Amino acid sequence: MLRLNKVKKNYKGFQLDCTLEVQEGCVTGLIGKNGAGKSTTFKAILGLLHTDGGSIEIFGKPITKIGVREKEDIGVVMSDSGFSGYLTVQDLIPMLRNMYPRFQEAEFLRECNEQKLPLNKKIKEFSTGMKRRLQVLAALTHGAKLLLLDEPTAGLDVIARDELLDMLRTYMEQDGRAILVSSHISSDLEGLCDDIYMIDNGKIVLYEETDVLLDTYGVLKVTKEQYEKLDHAHILRHKKEEFGYSCLTDQRQFYQENYPEIAIEKGTIDELIMIMIRGER
Amino acid sequence: MKLIINHSSMQPIYEQIVEQIKNKVMHGELKEDTMLPSVRTLAKELKVSALTVKKSYDVLEEEGFVNTVHGKGSFVAFANQGLLLEEKKKEVEADLEKAIRKGRSCGLTDPEIRTLFEIILED
Repeated sequence: MLRLNKVKKNYKGFQLDCTLEVQEGCVTGLIGKNGAGKSTTFKAILGLLHTDGGSIEIFGKPITKIGVREKEDIGVVMSDSGFSGYLTVQDLIPMLRNMYPRFQEAEFLRECNEQKLPLNKKIKEFSTGMKRRLQVLAALTHGAKLLLLDEPTAGLDVIARDELLDMLRTYMEQDGRAILVSSHISSDLEGLCDDIYMIDNGKIVLYEETDVLLDTYGVLKVTKEQYEKLDHAHILRHKKEEFGYSCLTDQRQFYQENYPEIAIEKGTIDELIMIMIRGER
Repeated sequence: MKLIINHSSMQPIYEQIVEQIKNKVMHGELKEDTMLPSVRTLAKELKVSALTVKKSYDVLEEEGFVNTVHGKGSFVAFANQGLLLEEKKKEVEADLEKAIRKGRSCGLTDPEIRTLFEIILED
């Protein structure tokens, strides 16, 4: 549904070089620390900035050939976008109705009710969580096939995040849909994404299916002596610690079986990222 | 479907799902022809990736616990369960026969073989 091939963007001191793909029926995550290039990638996809190389295709068409019809099939939530604070939700409805021929007004109203989003209060009086949920709702209710969400959970408390992720899971229950979502909160991604791209310094440094990451990757915590005796064949990165080294492996079972005395952790995606980015090969 | 996933366990999530569904089928909690929840519905319930659920459904199908009808869903294949058991019984029979033959061929008497068998059973 979405394909980026060697998309390049040069800024002073930063260069984006990104290749990724989102398949139909999949939720693909993009993680990276702040400034790694997540938002730049989204802006490139949306044509909000000129790229210096590479190609981007949505629904199989280059973005230069995307017309209004295709744009109606895309739902977008960017971290710094929003509706005008002076409008109420009620005001938004005719706007959305006119912008999107497939706007599902009844469903939108029903969800607003369920989510306790007041129809007649000015949006600027909403909390951050409410504003974000309104944005996501608007993106989910116009028949979009592809959702592009740049850090939709940023600034939300735990409960609000969970509710938002649930909205996305419900959205995916129907066929023919896909989501590209970025976050720097990995627990969000563990419970939602099917596969994950890790971006650092403008480049994709890791791509893996979520369950492979959770099932086979691990973090070994070893003393200096243990590290020297270790088989390094499956160590992707290592990082010096107080106690010795932490090592990232993509074959934790191998080490579990051959070195039963070593401390091995499953590792959350956050921990995996930390070593991936901060460790050395 | 009441499945409990332990996210901090070292056991892969898809394995936990397979094991728990297998147990439910074998204990009769999931009866033959019961339709399992769709991949994405279960993924939503368990808050895991849809690919993980798909993997477990694939394994369950391979092992004969589940039949997937394209376009309709996945159904518990209890009848096959009985067949599987029959298959396994035959394999155990064949293995036992082999062991007995070997025992006899190296001069063990039947009572001696029987004693060996009892010892191993007790282990």
